[in-house]
Parts: sequence; C-alpha cells; structure tokens
Amino acid sequence: MTLTISPLPHAKSRESVKSVMWGTVAALIPISLAAIYLFGFPAVKIILATVIAAVVSEIIIYKAASHPITIGDGNAVLIGLLLALLMPPGVSEHIWVPIIGAAFAIAVAKYIFGGTGTLVFHPALIGFAFLLAAWPTLMGAASTPNLGSFSDLLIETGAGRLVEASPALVLLGGAFVLYKKYVDRRVALSATVLLILLILISGKGWQLPYILTGGYFLGLIFLAADPITTPVTKRGRLVYGTVLALLILIQLHFGAYFTGMCFAVLMMNVFSPFIDKNTIPKPIGGD
Amino acid sequence: MKIATMKTPDQVIIPLEQHAGAVCNPVVSVGDIVSVGQLIGDGKSMIHSSVSGEVTAISELPHPAGKNVLSVVIKTHDGEKKEFKPGDFSTYKMSRIIRDSGIVEPNGLPTVYKKADINTIIINGTNTWDLSSNEALMLDHPSEIVDGLRALIKSVGAKKATIIIELDSEALQVMRTETIPDSNIKIIATPTYYPPGTESTLAKKFANKKVPRGSTPDDRGVLVSSISAMKALYDALCDGMPMIKKVVTVAGAVRSPKNVLVEIGAPIKDVIEACGGCTGTPVKLIMNGAVSGAAQYTDEVPVIKTTTGILVQTESDINREPPSPCINCAWCVDECPIGLLPHLLYGYADSAQFDKCAELYIGDCVECGMCAYVCPSKLPIVQIIRYGKHGVAAMEAEMEVEA
Ligand code: SF4
Ligand code: SF4
Repeated sequence: MTLTISPLPHAKSRESVKSVMWGTVAALIPISLAAIYLFGFPAVKIILATVIAAVVSEIIIYKAASHPITIGDGNAVLIGLLLALLMPPGVSEHIWVPIIGAAFAIAVAKYIFGGTGTLVFHPALIGFAFLLAAWPTLMGAASTPNLGSFSDLLIETGAGRLVEASPALVLLGGAFVLYKKYVDRRVALSATVLLILLILISGKGWQLPYILTGGYFLGLIFLAADPITTPVTKRGRLVYGTVLALLILIQLHFGAYFTGMCFAVLMMNVFSPFIDKNTIPKPIGGD
Repeated sequence: MKIATMKTPDQVIIPLEQHAGAVCNPVVSVGDIVSVGQLIGDGKSMIHSSVSGEVTAISELPHPAGKNVLSVVIKTHDGEKKEFKPGDFSTYKMSRIIRDSGIVEPNGLPTVYKKADINTIIINGTNTWDLSSNEALMLDHPSEIVDGLRALIKSVGAKKATIIIELDSEALQVMRTETIPDSNIKIIATPTYYPPGTESTLAKKFANKKVPRGSTPDDRGVLVSSISAMKALYDALCDGMPMIKKVVTVAGAVRSPKNVLVEIGAPIKDVIEACGGCTGTPVKLIMNGAVSGAAQYTDEVPVIKTTTGILVQTESDINREPPSPCINCAWCVDECPIGLLPHLLYGYADSAQFDKCAELYIGDCVECGMCAYVCPSKLPIVQIIRYGKHGVAAMEAEMEVEA
C-alpha cells in the first residue's frame, strides 16, 4: 500500500479566491439590476463596457508581461463592476470614459502594484479617482440623493449614480458578503457605526440622510472593507475603520459627499501597512 | 453502547516515547513475560503493557509522529489472562497517581505535572470534525468521568470545574443530569467550533483568564484537562488500572466508522480492520483528524496515548488545488488560536527572512493547521512555517557559534 504523506491540514475549506471574488460579484447583481431598472439602457451599456474593458485589459497586460492569466478568479470582473456602479448614468454617452477608467484601474492599481494581494489602493477607486481628475464634469452626478422618505430606501429616484439606485439592495448584497466574510467585518461595522454616531453627536444630524445611500453603503462595505487593502491585524482593522469614519466626517463637513467618501477610503489605503506594523499582536500562552 | 471493543491484537508495539521529548527507559527485556498493566517504561511519565504476553523485541520502530522511536513489542499470549492486581493508590498524592498510572492529556503532557494553585478546572469535552471519542466516552461512562473529576477537584483544591460540550451533542443532557448534585461543576454548552484551541485559548474563553505569552494556564490558576484523562483517572483510582487503553474514533473511508476502545500499541491496521476495513483504496491514513492530524506512511504505526482518531482518506478526499498568491484577506489571522500572523510568517519563511519570522513569534505556532484550512489561496502555510522554524533554529545556532 502506498500512502501519501503531506503536511497538515488534510482538509481544506471550500472557499477559494474564486468563490470570494465571484461571490462578491453575485452580491452586486441585485443592485446592478436595480440600476438597470432605474436608468435603463445607459446602465447596461456602462456595466458591460467597464466589465469587458477590465477583463480585456487584464488579458492584454498579463499576456504582454507573460504572467499567468487569472481572469477566471473573477477579480477583474469585480473591479469592472464596482467601477461601473460608481458612474453617473450620463457617461454612457461618452462610453470610452468608463472604458479608460477600467483599463487604468487594472493597469495601474492592479498590475503595477503587483496584482491581487500586494496592491495598495482599491483599483476601482483608483479608476474612479483618475476619471474624476481627467473629466470632472462627466463624473459629477446629476443629483445627490438624499433619503427623504422610506420608499427611497428601495428605489431612490434621486439617484445620481448607478449604485445609488437602491440602498436596500446594496445592503442586501452587503449583508451577504459580511456574512460570508468576503469583506472585513471589523472595518465595515466599525466605520459604519462610528460614522453614524459621529454625525449624530456632532449635531449634524441633517447630514444623516446623505449617507444612508447606496453610494455610502457600497463604499463602507464593499470598497473600504475590501480585504485586500485593509490591515490584517485584528486591532489594526478597528483602527482603520475608526480613522476612516473620522476622515469621512471631515469630508462631509466640507460638503464632499460621495467623492469625499471615496477619497477618504483611498487615503486610508495608504495607511494600511503602517497600521499593521504598529498593531502586531502578541501571541498567547506557550511554555 | 457507543464504544465498541476490539479483539486484543496479536501483537502490540508500545513506543517508549508517547509525546515529543519525554522518552522512557525500558524496564523489561526481550523474552520477559509481562501482564496487563505491568510497568514497561519508566521516566517522566510511566508506560505500561496493554496486554499479557511476551516481549519479543525492543527496537526502533515507526511512531505516529513520523520518526522511529524505541518501542517495546509484545506478542500477546492466547487465552492466558494473567490476573491483574489493582495497585493501591488511596494514600498517594494526585500528581503521583497520575504519574504512576501514566495518565496524559491528548497533548501528551501529564494532567498534573507541576505545583500550582488551581482555582478552576476546565474539561474539554468538545470534538473536532469527524472525531467523536469525547462524546462517546461521555455517553458510555458519564458517572465514571464525573467521579474522576470530583477526585481531581478535591485533590488539587479547585473551587469550581467546567465541562465544555458542544450544543448539539447528545452528551450535553447526560452530563447535565450526571452533575446535578455538584454545585461546583458547571456544564457549558458551546457552538461547534474549530479549533477547540490550545489550553491557553480555552482558559481565556471559558475561565476568563488571559494567559500571557510564556506562561501556561496553571500559572493563572486554571487546569485544562480532557474527558479521556478523567476516565483514566477513574480507572486508576477505582480499579488501579493504568492508562493502557484509548477510545479512538475511526472515520472516513472505512466500512463501519465508529469509536473503538483500543489497547495502546495496537497497530492502526488492526483498528481499521476492526471497523470493517477500508472502502476503496486508502491514499492517506491520518492520525488525529483532518486539520491537525499527521499523515502516516505505514499502517503499522501503533495507537499511542495521544491518539484520538484515525481517519482514512481516498483520492477524492484530497484537495490538490494548486495554490495561488496570498490575497491578504486575513482569514488566517482571524482563525489562528495563538494570535499569530500566519500569512506574514508564510511570506517571510518562503523568502528565507528568518529574522523576521523570529520577530513575529514563529516558534509559538502550535501547528494546528487552521490557517491553511481556511486560506482561500490554498497556501501550504504550515509546511512553510515548519521550514521557517528550522530556518530560525539554524540561524540561532549560528549566532551562538559566533558569540
Ligand atoms: S498552524 Fe500555527 S499559524 Fe496556523 S493557525 Fe495554527 S497556530 Fe496559527
Ligand atoms: S488566509 Fe491565505 S490568502 Fe488570506 S491572508 Fe492568510 S495566507 Fe493570505
């Protein structure tokens, strides 16, 4: 009888990089459908454009650099879809804009920084920030949603971006990825709870409706708590969420709503390694 | 009865090292006739013969830890059952009884081995994965286990004791009923979780005593023990029987998976046979569970005192998915019971930066396997951590030479 010898463990969980990425994509399907429902064909056009652009640029770049192609893991699709959701529907008339954004996200934020795992900035946010700098007028949302009535939670008619179509559906997807741990719970929950508390105690309660929107939920759950860019130590992740909430509050103070939140997350991305370095835990027990 | 008994094997192989580092000296020689319960190895902890028969060899033989260890081979004598005369322990001190009866915990250490002021005793009654020997023991021998615990509480002067049992375990009710008269014994139901952790994590979770690095739960007045040790303690106190048998869960690709009471030293081949043999072609034989167990290269290795299960895997059970780069998800960090940063240890060890490994406490890793189990990138973290530990040891040895 020949027996296989290998180091432990002899069983592995079913989750894989693939299941994490595709699972997150799946969580974004309901909100994508809501965006299509609300905005119609332009939304379809934007989503297809960014997703295809992200996938194609990844194939081209990785092929040119003779890296193994990892399209199957779903990361490029996820980046494309997230970027699409940040777009105002109006850009569908200049469809090359989101296409450039997606290509930029993959080429700069993902490839140059060494790929999934080593990247520093969230690629979708980098793509968005780049477009915002290059074509500020196109990136401006038609309107800023402001939670007025309860029905707005389901379908927000004041939505200025794809993701703002339905806060409830973003939350639904968010609950799924939080439950599956596809995004980091500590970051998402600490940042969200603290932000709401801060707004309430700082006497700026009137701002609350502005953050109970699809854009903020996507930002706090899917973008800020994205496991790749957040710190790894347990304490570090709480610090991250806390400082993020403070930064967002500052941005709010200056009247920067959605874009302010995006920049706050990008800023935190920079500090991630630094936070890790200073929160290395001490192991317990031992002899 | 949950626990099946097995026909005494024709031959037992009893390693004189039941856990890393504690080697015993043989006190028998080839040709000696030994009886059940007779002392055959003396040292830090004692080792007894599990059968009556003749010592046919004392030589280096395969040990479940993957190396060869000096072992006593005893050929069982048919029919002849030498009368076992129970030792009289009544006046001994508990630590003495535990040593003389060779009672060790599943981690290989004697239940009580140093002087400490014990306030709380935690008995781990949880099961890992498909191993269910703890549950089976509690269902079959609830009163013996509680009696063993009562004796332990009394002798070490503990104020309270806790038995931890999974919420969905049948044993929960049985043990609750059994401990009704004892106001100082509490049964705690816990959701099924893995890892049940190390002694230190249990102390923190269930006795609320944080065990700082470099100390053991005893230092904080917590004694962590196991169901099997309580049963062994009872056997020693009441029948004068040393620890010579172990309840082992046989699981995986065997015809009738079950819990079996096995003589220490029985080759795992015989134990698997007692469960109807393998179904399909076995590809891996694992001692002690899928996540933290050790793969065996031969089915001749014996059951030892730290054995709790034997798992048979066939090709379809084995995940041969190729690893992909780490995605920094920190799942490994969340699962590590010790509080290490496994992905960093992996990265540093893989690139031979052993000084960084040492800074991140690589030596504290207990190789529970949890990090590699959850890793979505399927990285062989434990394998690389082991490599890193060797690297650190080599580095330190070198520094000593220079100094
Ligand atoms: S194997 Fe080591 S590093 Fe991995 S979870 Fe267990 S103790 Fe932590
Ligand atoms: S679980 Fe695996 S992929 Fe995730 S951080 Fe740890 S080593 Fe990296």
